[in-house]
Amino acid sequence: MKLSEGARLLGRHLRPQRGALWRLGAWSALEAVPTFVSGLFIARALDHGFLAGRLLTGFGWLAALAILYALGAWGTRQVYPWLASTVEPLRDSLLTGVVAASLHRALGGEQDAGGASVAQATIQVESVRGLFSALLRNSRQLLATSVAAIGGLAVLSPLLALVVGCLVLVALVVFAGLLRVVVVRYRDVVLRGEQVGTSAAPVVEGMRDVVACAAQARAAREVGEAIDAEAAAQRSFARAWVLRLPVVTLGAHLPLLALLVLAPWLLSNGYLTVGEVAGAAIYLFSGLQPAIQVLVSGGGTILVNLGVVLARLAEVSTGPPDARDGSPDLLPTGHDLELERVTFAYSPAAEPVVDDLTLAVPEGLHLAVVGPSGVGKSTLANLLARLACPQHGAVRLGGLDLQHIDEDHLRRTVALIPQEAYVFAGTVRENLTYLRPQASTGELEQAVRAVGMEELLSQLGGLDAEIPPSGGTLSPGERQLIALTRTYLSSARIVILDEATCHLDPVAEQRAEQAFGDRHGTLIVIAHRISSALRADQILVMDGAAPEVGGYDALLRSNSLFAELVGHWHEQPTAPA
Amino acid sequence: MSMSSSSSRLTRAFARFMGPQVSPDALRTAGNRVLRQQAGQPRILVVLLVVITLAGVGSTLLLPGALAVAIDAATSGRGLPRALGQLAVVLAVATVVEALDELIGSYYGSYLTARLRHRLMGRALALGVPGQRRFPAGDLLSRLTVSANTPANFLPLLLAAVRTLLITIGAVVALAVIDLRLALTFLIGVPPAVVLLRLFLARASEPFVRYQERLAEVITRMLDAHRGARTIRASGTAEQEVGRILQPLPELHHIGRQVWAVQRGASWQMSLLVPMLQVLVLSIAGFALAAGDITAGQIVAAASYVVLALGSVKVVDTVVSLLGCQVAAGRVGEVLETTPAVVPPVLPAAVPPGRGRLELRDVSVVLGERPVLHHLDLAVPPGTSVALVGRSGTGKSVLASLIGRLRDPDEGAVLLDGAPVSTVDLSALRRIVTYAFERPARLGATVHDMIAYGEPAASRAQVQAAAAAAQADRFIRLLPEGYDTPLAQAPMSGGELQRLGLARAIVTGARVVVLDDATSSLDTATEVKVADALARILEDRTSVVVAYRAATAARADLVAWLDAGRIRALAPHRELWSDPDYRAVFAADRDHQPADREQLAVDAGTPA
Repeated sequence: MKLSEGARLLGRHLRPQRGALWRLGAWSALEAVPTFVSGLFIARALDHGFLAGRLLTGFGWLAALAILYALGAWGTRQVYPWLASTVEPLRDSLLTGVVAASLHRALGGEQDAGGASVAQATIQVESVRGLFSALLRNSRQLLATSVAAIGGLAVLSPLLALVVGCLVLVALVVFAGLLRVVVVRYRDVVLRGEQVGTSAAPVVEGMRDVVACAAQARAAREVGEAIDAEAAAQRSFARAWVLRLPVVTLGAHLPLLALLVLAPWLLSNGYLTVGEVAGAAIYLFSGLQPAIQVLVSGGGTILVNLGVVLARLAEVSTGPPDARDGSPDLLPTGHDLELERVTFAYSPAAEPVVDDLTLAVPEGLHLAVVGPSGVGKSTLANLLARLACPQHGAVRLGGLDLQHIDEDHLRRTVALIPQEAYVFAGTVRENLTYLRPQASTGELEQAVRAVGMEELLSQLGGLDAEIPPSGGTLSPGERQLIALTRTYLSSARIVILDEATCHLDPVAEQRAEQAFGDRHGTLIVIAHRISSALRADQILVMDGAAPEVGGYDALLRSNSLFAELVGHWHEQPTAPA
Repeated sequence: MSMSSSSSRLTRAFARFMGPQVSPDALRTAGNRVLRQQAGQPRILVVLLVVITLAGVGSTLLLPGALAVAIDAATSGRGLPRALGQLAVVLAVATVVEALDELIGSYYGSYLTARLRHRLMGRALALGVPGQRRFPAGDLLSRLTVSANTPANFLPLLLAAVRTLLITIGAVVALAVIDLRLALTFLIGVPPAVVLLRLFLARASEPFVRYQERLAEVITRMLDAHRGARTIRASGTAEQEVGRILQPLPELHHIGRQVWAVQRGASWQMSLLVPMLQVLVLSIAGFALAAGDITAGQIVAAASYVVLALGSVKVVDTVVSLLGCQVAAGRVGEVLETTPAVVPPVLPAAVPPGRGRLELRDVSVVLGERPVLHHLDLAVPPGTSVALVGRSGTGKSVLASLIGRLRDPDEGAVLLDGAPVSTVDLSALRRIVTYAFERPARLGATVHDMIAYGEPAASRAQVQAAAAAAQADRFIRLLPEGYDTPLAQAPMSGGELQRLGLARAIVTGARVVVLDDATSSLDTATEVKVADALARILEDRTSVVVAYRAATAARADLVAWLDAGRIRALAPHRELWSDPDYRAVFAADRDHQPADREQLAVDAGTPA
């Protein structure tokens, strides 16, 4: 976790808001004016007014001060819209960046730690908003007050201002050094906090398994360790934070004591009057000291918090490199798919999952792919949809290598439905028209009827019914029905079902597959039940070493694995007629 | 204050939207109970905090006075060393007190948070499977990570509020001590401040709540998209998705500006009121100075006391945070106060000897409003394999979960080898009744660990034997580090994961093994191999298989046909097959054309 990355991230997203920041600064300067003059005016009020017995002069100076305070309050009022204009766009662009990067990483196939980290990132953006606002508000006040206080002090007594200035400078240097130590410890706190979530998540999500294995004590112990580690990190951080003491002493208390020590000498030599001593004390006690206090307790906290959160966000926001080659994107003619000597392995050392496979899938073919689990059927689906690229050989659509085809055209032509159906928060209509937003209601209804979704649709409450986030209480089978209807409706000419009907009961599965079979275009079914093979024109039996293609009867005779797959299915005793 | 206060306020509000909707008042009542019980420990730190708070009040109030004395000594040239000494002491005490306050506050908070989390986790584990209905995983996690974090701030915030109030009172008294007229002038300014605060409070919360709602919406949309990653990739709709996820953003921006507008009002009005009041008091003080009633140092002190007295304005923020702490504590309390449905027996009996004879007598289970099992009777002889069959939704999994007490029936009894399972020692019961699920949870650090999760003492040989029987040994060996591969680095298909779950169920040498749709991701051939291996291993033990395929039902010794909440029949598959209603359960199993059947029968040489 690098702090500089975090700072750079903030800088990048703040740059468009430069104008607002300048205006913010200008109004803040106005706000600071009353503080700047407060000590001076009070000193005058005392010396030339009350101490000299001239009440009206005294009141006059105080009235002038009051007017300036009113001006300052007006300045405060004007500051807020610029605060909003700085912070709200910052949050917008940070959130957009985080969402886009997070999504692209998930699509790149990176193993996510689950939803927890996704939500975390959004909460962290919100933290940045809150922290940065607090930082802006506090630091303006701080800077304004302390600069004004020292400035005013300089007008009263340059020597004093010099002494105080040096002390404050040393205090700031010590503080900066302290922050570096503290940030490291706080980063620890944040990481251990996340650790609590990541160690508890599998236990909480797998509660049934934990209980069934009678492993509650063990699970409690493992999560307990993470809990205790976080608590210890918090305490360690708190100990480091105590070191703020010297900063407060140097920056706030010593100047005041210095003033009082020097005062008799300054008074006796005529450098300062009594009123001015009082004014200087007000600058230090009501101006500088609170500023240092705020810096050291609130401000330091905010800085540390902000630094760590930004660094975390910078990690999350780095998008993956754009991996596109420079060759022109072409459009294929026709929709014949072809695999030529395709070989694919997940890593150089692993055994190839698809080995030297040659297969022709002419347009309109209904192909079923069967084989034992883990043999590479999903991999084949990925290769056909260009979600994976073969190490050797080529996959061609309409004569063109998939790599060279225009991405948009490819995505619209080839549709892949995975086992885990994607249903999102929105209306049923939005979910169904996902791949073809301009579909008419008539087409929608026709698709629903074809795939067999009518009962589900009426249960949900029609096309405009709302589906809750994460699909709510929809069963896996119901989600698959929605995904199937969506793809049926799309304009894809090649549909690949990767066990996309596995949660449907056999009757519903038959209906859905028949609908796709009757639909225009190619259908490739990665079969879950052998009954899918029965409905296909051609069957590809994948068995690692020797994949074989053929019709049902031919394969039954020639391929022993297929016979076994089908034969076992038929093992049930025949019923009397 | 504590580091997390700025972001915790936001995460707390978010947590509210992750969980089921309960009225805030009910939550706060539950929260108060939790706070009463837990917030007072560890006793010594609480006492220290109180002492430090009082010391802080004292030093804050004494400081302007000591400064006044020192200024007067400096200007008059008399008694300066002593006055300086006093001032230095008070400054030192104030600084030390502030530092200690935060240090001890953090220590106290860390202990309290850890304690609440430990208890929450323990209670969640005790609530088990029935508890997941009330507290789903995501909700429980948010309570553990976010809600449990917040009550730790309650006591420090409360003390801070008390401190501020005491300082206010003390400052007004100090003003009165300097000069009564000053105190009276100040009190004139109090009513406007109060009015201001009420207005702010009334308008502050509403946009804030709506803001959190919109933010939570963005998060749920993002979570959805993560789950559908493969579909999005295949559909090439990534840009569309980003747009969809960020749809609430413009409204979020708009509400954010409203929040700023509210804060603006309070802020500028406050920054007008405070200095004006100060100037007013200074004017009166100046009058008194001219009359010789007070000294120059005391004017400085008076200015400071006015600021101190107005510090009570911040108490509003503190009160809001206190409410937040109560709500968070309530969310923790909800879980802590839920009694577990499945309770270990008071006098646990040892596991009865036997080979796994199962009996369910007059068992009824109601889930939600629905009766799932209704006066169900079932007797399974020891050492048999029983297939549980029925249309989806008839309660097969619920029945299966009764055997190992993952769930208890609402009425009736479940007996294992003659002894009611509710009287048997719970952890012993769970060792002899094991489960394999359709989607086993990836628990444990390595692959070996996952298989041995219920039996940590299992040797590598035992684990390997179990994996081999489950047809998992081969693919495990192909993993980077074999059995020692960390689970996080072992991507697996659904079928491979299921086989690990199966291995886990058989490694313990259980008496009854329950397979709940545990071979659904396996193709027919693998399933047969697994079934053969299991049949060998469980030869003289009972197995209960929740079956969806006719082939699975056919392989079992007996089929328990579940229909309308009861067992309609208990007989071998072959006998039941003649019943058309039974065949209908597996309806599309038989969607092959009669011609094929006849052809095969001819090939196989059996009568058609």
